[in-house]
Amino acid sequence: MGNLTVTITDVNGEERSFSDVVEGLSLMESAKARGVAGIFGDCGGGCSCATCHVYVAPEWLARVGAPDDIELDMLDMVSDLQRENSRLSCQIQMRAELDGLAVTVAPSSM
Amino acid sequence: MASAADQELIDHGSLADPAIQARPNAFYRALRHGDPVHHDPKLDSWLITRHEDILAVQADPITFSVNKGYHTQQARGMQDEYQEILRTEGGGYFPDAIMSDPPYHTRIRKLMENAFTAHRVKALEPRIAATVSELLEKVADLGQADAVKQIAVPLTIRVIVEQLGLDHGMEEQFSRWSVAVTAQIGRMQDREQMLENARLICDLQHYLIGKMKAREEHPAEDMISDIVHAKMPNADGTTDVLTFPEAVSLIRAMLIAGNDTTATAIGKLFYLLATKPGFADLLKEVGEDDRRLTRFVEELMRIEPPVRALSRMTTREVVVGGTTLPEGAHLLLVYASGNDDETVFPEPRDFDLDRANLGRHVGFGGGPHRCVGIALARMEVKVMAREIARRLDNIALAIPEEDIRYVPTVATHTIESLPITFTRRTA
Repeated sequence: MGNLTVTITDVNGEERSFSDVVEGLSLMESAKARGVAGIFGDCGGGCSCATCHVYVAPEWLARVGAPDDIELDMLDMVSDLQRENSRLSCQIQMRAELDGLAVTVAPSSM
Repeated sequence: MASAADQELIDHGSLADPAIQARPNAFYRALRHGDPVHHDPKLDSWLITRHEDILAVQADPITFSVNKGYHTQQARGMQDEYQEILRTEGGGYFPDAIMSDPPYHTRIRKLMENAFTAHRVKALEPRIAATVSELLEKVADLGQADAVKQIAVPLTIRVIVEQLGLDHGMEEQFSRWSVAVTAQIGRMQDREQMLENARLICDLQHYLIGKMKAREEHPAEDMISDIVHAKMPNADGTTDVLTFPEAVSLIRAMLIAGNDTTATAIGKLFYLLATKPGFADLLKEVGEDDRRLTRFVEELMRIEPPVRALSRMTTREVVVGGTTLPEGAHLLLVYASGNDDETVFPEPRDFDLDRANLGRHVGFGGGPHRCVGIALARMEVKVMAREIARRLDNIALAIPEEDIRYVPTVATHTIESLPITFTRRTA
């Protein structure tokens, strides 16, 4: 069992906090395992679709970091939903400094 | 009300008709507007043609079984004989482990996902670019080539051969084997062709089994070794290895799935370059702009998806798009029609790089069965597009457009052979 806390507002607007998130897994894997609505992760975490798209709370942006070029290419496929704080949650590895992270699931791109 | 022409297509058209297979968009449009969940009597399959209905089916892999859908479609009408040939002459009949349903599918799929992440594929780009350059340089000064047989097919086969660790110089053999496997879900083979294809698949399986045995003893840095030695973790901390039939089926799937489809996409790329006004100029414009080129490739996948339609089977009575389907109904998700759905993609026949919702296209499917080789497919097409823009100019058809022949199949929309002319780009 992990001990990191993440607060996720799902695609229906429902906010849930999880305090048992495991370090080392991606945010997508953690969210999908907990049935967070709107997180599909179709490609399995390979940064090859945009079905785990989240908006990172502004105060967490610096610590989460910016997407790389490969991720930006994928976010560009859903440019109608892309914002400054867009990330693919499969590319966010959970780690101690992200304890307390808050994100909102982007509207479904499907 | 459907127009008279549309009603005629709905009443009498069939995806089993080679003329409709070759030029299908009017048929798709008529169905979407007039009968979006349409029973095709010649195929005994329900054609799911609207984007939203395709998404709904993909999202529910339990009600809509890939395992039953795919394996029902395989050699349909001649299944017992087909399977018996593989059992007696081909080392075994190996159902496709990846064409399965959750939760089993989830574990198998995990093994495949790690192989082709976008970041791993990025590392293959230089090697792919070298292969593309070699193929294009071979023909650049000749002024003519068969874009499918001399460029598209050899590229995709070479890439997958390197990844799997198979033998070079066997492109034609691999191509024949691929065609034989994909023909099993194409619904267009007669018994004689099925027998011929089944025996080719026997040869393929013996070849792959030989390679697997070699890698069992002497592992190498390739994907056959990865599969043969793969360990699947269980919840209790133990691990399972793949069974022999599972491993054969996965290696066979990787070899086949990645080459025919991507070659089909590259064939379409050349076709559009040769025929669509302004298309070659557009490619020149975006060829050196990585983000725009990525969009160009994705819009190509939307407007001309290589995989036309794949199977599902209902496991209970269920309503799709307002139509009640019984348990055991065979469905074809017509991705090419979903991508042509004007309610999602306005002016769908326009090639438009700037679509804000481009990622919604279903050319790679979607849901838990979304194409697992998606990053590799995109990379091969992208590198090909970029290198064509650098090297070739004035691409034109060397045969009349109406003479272009398509592979008879419901599963893909594949140009058989595409003779083209061109000049070497000078500036």
